[in-house]
Amino acid sequence: MSNNKILENAFTTILEIDASQINEELKYQSIPEWDSINHMFLIGEIEDVFNVEIDSDDILEVKSYNDAKNVLGRYGVDFE
Amino acid sequence: MNLARDNSTLYNLIAASENVNFIDASNDTRYTLEQIDLPINNIELARSLIFLYTDNSLNSLVTYLNLLKTKHVLVLLSNTIETKLKENLENDYEPSIIFDDERSYIDKYEARELSNENIEIKLHINKEFKSVLDDNLRLMLSTSGTTGSPKFVKLSEENIKQNAISISDYLPIESTDVTPLNLPLHYSYGLSVLHSNAINGATIVCGLPDILSKDFWKHLNEYEFTSIAGVPFIYEMFQRIGFLKKPHPSLKYITQAGGNLSQNIKSEFNNYCIENGIEFFVMYGQTEATARISFVPPSMLEDKITSIGKPIKNGNITIDIDTDELLYSGPNVFGGYAKQKEDLATWENIEMLRTGDLAKQDEDGYFYISGRLKRIAKVFGNRVNLDEIEAFVKSNLNLSLLACTGINDKFILIAHSHKNLEEAELKKAMFGTFKIQGSAIKFHYFDTLPKTKNEKIDYKTITSIYLEK
Repeated sequence: MSNNKILENAFTTILEIDASQINEELKYQSIPEWDSINHMFLIGEIEDVFNVEIDSDDILEVKSYNDAKNVLGRYGVDFE
Repeated sequence: MNLARDNSTLYNLIAASENVNFIDASNDTRYTLEQIDLPINNIELARSLIFLYTDNSLNSLVTYLNLLKTKHVLVLLSNTIETKLKENLENDYEPSIIFDDERSYIDKYEARELSNENIEIKLHINKEFKSVLDDNLRLMLSTSGTTGSPKFVKLSEENIKQNAISISDYLPIESTDVTPLNLPLHYSYGLSVLHSNAINGATIVCGLPDILSKDFWKHLNEYEFTSIAGVPFIYEMFQRIGFLKKPHPSLKYITQAGGNLSQNIKSEFNNYCIENGIEFFVMYGQTEATARISFVPPSMLEDKITSIGKPIKNGNITIDIDTDELLYSGPNVFGGYAKQKEDLATWENIEMLRTGDLAKQDEDGYFYISGRLKRIAKVFGNRVNLDEIEAFVKSNLNLSLLACTGINDKFILIAHSHKNLEEAELKKAMFGTFKIQGSAIKFHYFDTLPKTKNEKIDYKTITSIYLEK
């Protein structure tokens, strides 16, 4: 599975949304499902599926779907 | 501080506190109480029912404080409740005034702006709606968060005033404090932070971004917050985002309530606080007690790490000898529930609040929660009625062989006997109706659901089988 697909699955699993709702505009708190509680579960899921440990400071950086890709890039997860 | 125990109102106490002022963090502006004072009495209306859909913005705070000046009965609700559910509540209760910045127009209501040179708020008024209101009734709060439930806790002026006074007796609140409103105003714990700080003349910071924003932490340093309040999940977030790895020199004390925080996280925070000269107050309460029932003195927390402490000033805790239920009495005990408009006309004098929590007391007089009498779970600080959830799932999704139970206040377990249960669909419905995040719902399949001798669902066995799996 591509990393794009894996990240998409992490979002749809935790936020209980359809893949069609995931786009460049999807931001933290832009939909009711992406609240602070689900944000923490989302970080946990992303850590699990990519087998990385996200640094505490980086958690505050993940404010959109794109941010998640950028932050993961620092941990060697490639989205090309 | 000597706070009057006469017949002055909570608002009188706030107005009498010399320094009380408010910072709107969204545009870095500071206001005195006088600067946010609005000509609220220009609205000519007999004592009426008012709905306030609030967030932690300056507008919400200003509206609440100005209405606290009046004799009206205020209902505090989350502004994130879905519009349909808001309309249901309004049909049920027919409030005369609605404050809701989420809606520019409300059917049957006339918009009215109130302003001074600093601020402007908008109210929606319908003078035709009248309510019969008991003299004691002052404030109503929901216990369920954002689900739009029509069940409210009825509170009096005396309830909110006395609880604020009792809280100021043990929290080291001073007029030089800078306190963030990081919990919702419609949540009794969040409201108690406002009340107890305002009567002591503290600086109150509203309009804050949420704690997962970098700006929140920037504001903490810039404004030099002296305290933070949090439910267990907030402390779990704090820990995960590195709160304990950094110094927070402005903090004098932090408070935790709204359910049981895991012992290891509580200990980590306690150690951090001891090392950094911060007082850590672990507290217990219920909306039915206006907010607060007991607290652990910070110096005792290490020894009594799993305790809920001792009662607040003017409060008393006893344990029912037959059932072990924790019973509380004090001037902050509520006046019953309202489930419909007619209930606003009555007030119950409740001597003893039956909390539904089971408790023990140690030889030093400290209380401990040992379980729960009612079918209630706490998920992320919000109270969840398990029977209600079970009934909802059974009727809406047409599933019969199913039972819901709470596990350690962490998540809800749905035990079922359906081989092809649509878990994702069920989670979606649970978020839609109860605002319970899918990650807080677990499933476990049973060939036959465990039953007691009387053919009732055996929740204890379900829980232990799940935990042992």
